[in-house]
Amino acid sequence: MADSVVYQKKIKRKKSLYSRIKESRKCQNILTVVLPILFGLLIFVLWQTKVLHAMMHTDTFTLPVPTRIAKLFGENMSDVLANMRSTVLVAFIGLIAGSIIGYLVAVIASIFPNMGKGGLNIIGAFASIPVIALAPVMNNWTRNISPDANTRSTVAKILVVMLIAAADMCLNAYRGLTELKPYSEDLMKTYAASGFTIFVKLRLPNSVPYIFTALKVSVPASIMTAIVSEYFAEYIIGVGREIRENIVLSQYSIAWVYISAACIIGIVSYIILMIIQSVALKRYH
Amino acid sequence: MKKLAQKKSFQTIFWIILVIAVWEIFASIVEQTQRMPDNIMPHLWQIAAAAVSTDKVSGGMTATQVVLTSASATLLRALGGFLIGAAVGFVLALLMQMSGIVEKMIFPYLMLIQLIPVIGMAPIILAITKDINQSRLIIAAILSFYPVATNTLAGFKSVEKEKYDLMYTYAASRRQIYTKVIIPTTIPYMFTGLKIAAPMAITASILVDTLQGDGGLGCMLSQALRHAMNIYVFWLIVFFSAFIGVFSTYLIGWIEKLVSPSERALLFAKHSSKKKLKPDKNRSHFSMRPRKLAVYHETDAM
Repeated sequence: MADSVVYQKKIKRKKSLYSRIKESRKCQNILTVVLPILFGLLIFVLWQTKVLHAMMHTDTFTLPVPTRIAKLFGENMSDVLANMRSTVLVAFIGLIAGSIIGYLVAVIASIFPNMGKGGLNIIGAFASIPVIALAPVMNNWTRNISPDANTRSTVAKILVVMLIAAADMCLNAYRGLTELKPYSEDLMKTYAASGFTIFVKLRLPNSVPYIFTALKVSVPASIMTAIVSEYFAEYIIGVGREIRENIVLSQYSIAWVYISAACIIGIVSYIILMIIQSVALKRYH
Repeated sequence: MKKLAQKKSFQTIFWIILVIAVWEIFASIVEQTQRMPDNIMPHLWQIAAAAVSTDKVSGGMTATQVVLTSASATLLRALGGFLIGAAVGFVLALLMQMSGIVEKMIFPYLMLIQLIPVIGMAPIILAITKDINQSRLIIAAILSFYPVATNTLAGFKSVEKEKYDLMYTYAASRRQIYTKVIIPTTIPYMFTGLKIAAPMAITASILVDTLQGDGGLGCMLSQALRHAMNIYVFWLIVFFSAFIGVFSTYLIGWIEKLVSPSERALLFAKHSSKKKLKPDKNRSHFSMRPRKLAVYHETDAM
């Protein structure tokens, strides 16, 4: 008798393990963290035990195991840092200068919306020009800037990054400056606000989240652009160029060190951007 | 005059003329001051002349022939990689939508791969595959896979809860929900991803060319830069790849119009009853942002 009562209770509350996990919030939160780590570990183990090599029909010479890459990274730290500094410098200066220019262009376009819109379409077209086409042209244009090959190729690289960053920022900032909340502009007009006041109090704050939308695209893009334009630069420096040079010399493990350096730059810069964004947009939330 | 300034075609032409004028002014300055103006900034008409000239540049081919044959080698690979990448991206997004476990497992890596300069890995992929064509395909596929995957996933997530509720009251099957609601809603998002992916696939493909002398746009580009060929081949390739990059985005915009249900319905409405539904003349057919039906309800106040 007692047994059957327990049994019935069980029937009432019986749920599969799967649905119980699915309904528990705590479990889901844990899974969000644990599953990606497990997946990463799986890849790491496959790589380290050379199963990955067998799958891709390659050897440890072209695809060294992670521990070896880490060891070499430590051994070549000073070289890697010097090249990373060059790449980061190019990407950062280009990004900042390009974003400022792009924003100013967007401001001008928002002041003259009729002609500005057409100009923005042109800029949008510029944004989809391959970096490959821009980089050698910029190299040619900056040939006479400085007698020092390092300076002039740095300038060329910065210019390419700048163009890409400016196009991204311009298109997004223009939307931020013009796509206002309905009636907010009319409200400002009823306050008899001047054009300048409308700009400072309404358009400028409205465009801030859009600036970050643009940066989220242009930060990884500017690093990629810096790396690609290094390929064409005259002076041999930078993470991207070192990847290529080392492969030409068949030093694949060193090339992998630079690839991991490039990945670190990409990830760290994005994290920094996220921190800046959370500080800057605090008052919006 | 004001009406003219508001016309889309006039604006575009105005800006194109402006760009050409600025180029020509600088080209004239360069011509006066530099020793080798051809390398820095030739006149546009000089480039155009090089395109139509019948002089043999390399291997018994004219400059245009060189560009076009190498372009076909490069662009076909870019297209192949792009299609593979887009298909993989879509399927992956679909899997992530269907299974929470897959989503949780892959999503952080999908974000991560966007931050990694994959294009910098081109030489090493060439070293692994040891085949230029294969590595072109792989790089183009990787680069086009993640914009498509992330945007498609965003599209899946954008389906409103009300739509699911409505489908539930219709007693729709899972399959029906996918084919009738979720995938059609996702199409504009997916095309946004494709628009980002297309120039990237082309860039990647050209970059891989420069790594190995095996024909292709990038290879010819670096050869012409080293003056192994007429320098105008370089300029032709620069302009051609710029054109292809821009054109690919527009092309996908066109395909989007043909494929997506809402756009198709609009087109159909426009053709069948021109008087009733007057299309907005000032509206661009290929605006850069993802277009929705709501765009047509906006006034032209901006």
